[in-house]
Amino acid sequence: MFECKDVAEEASNYLDGDLPLGKRVGLFLHLVICSCCRRYMQQIKQTISTVSTLRPQEQHNTDTQALAEKLRAISKTES
Amino acid sequence: MKKNALPDEMDQTALIAKLNSGDASAFEYVVGQYHSIMLSVARAIIGEAFADEVVQEAWVSAIKALPRFEGRSSLKTWLLQITSNGAKTRLRRESRQLSLDDGWQAEPDYKFDHRGHRIDDVLQWNIDTPEALLQNDQLRDVIEKTYQSLPPHQRAVLTMCDMEGLQMTEICNILDISASNARVLLHRARTALHHSIEKYQES
Repeated sequence: MFECKDVAEEASNYLDGDLPLGKRVGLFLHLVICSCCRRYMQQIKQTISTVSTLRPQEQHNTDTQALAEKLRAISKTES
Repeated sequence: MKKNALPDEMDQTALIAKLNSGDASAFEYVVGQYHSIMLSVARAIIGEAFADEVVQEAWVSAIKALPRFEGRSSLKTWLLQITSNGAKTRLRRESRQLSLDDGWQAEPDYKFDHRGHRIDDVLQWNIDTPEALLQNDQLRDVIEKTYQSLPPHQRAVLTMCDMEGLQMTEICNILDISASNARVLLHRARTALHHSIEKYQES
């Protein structure tokens, strides 16, 4: 029997379609009866779509403009 | 989940032609578009200390090899593969399997009773659409900070999967980790972000 704790552990695998059929059905049936877990699952989905739109970046101090210029100079000498 | 496509991914063939002809804007575009992801990968494999250097070297070897790029994979995947190879060369490889047996839990035990049922309700979020979440500056800040403080492997998997839409098999290849490791890392990263949004909404 799937419990809330299992849903919290398996949420990503469920959403990404990586659960074997038995577990998939078990989790689905739990969602049918548990509004908490439905909300949790919905929030995980929102988290994913938010981060995919927001696209946070790595922190770095690279001067990307200078790097681009350096690479262009290298490519000129190569060709 | 539907994979996110890049909002403004330039046509690859045209882009490569521009790079090969030395078009300055094309170089700025690729650096702007891919530098951060390459850094994610390098940091995951080799850690903070050498990551910058590895990425710089990866850029140089990629640009030198570009005239011979055959387009069998996407430019992005190719760049990430070069970064990954460079990082791995620098690293004396220890073990293919990361140790993930560190007591991590999606939610702390006290949230569940002895049968695994939730004790408290999962609260409804006040801000509950991705659009509204994104319009809130403070919340964007919270998400960005959480992202940046994720362990490097989690950050790299999340970036490649949820932001760049790479396939799991590609991600496993690039980071040289097993599929089950990658799935666990992805879920941990998403859970950390969920927690930070939840905490913000409750405050």
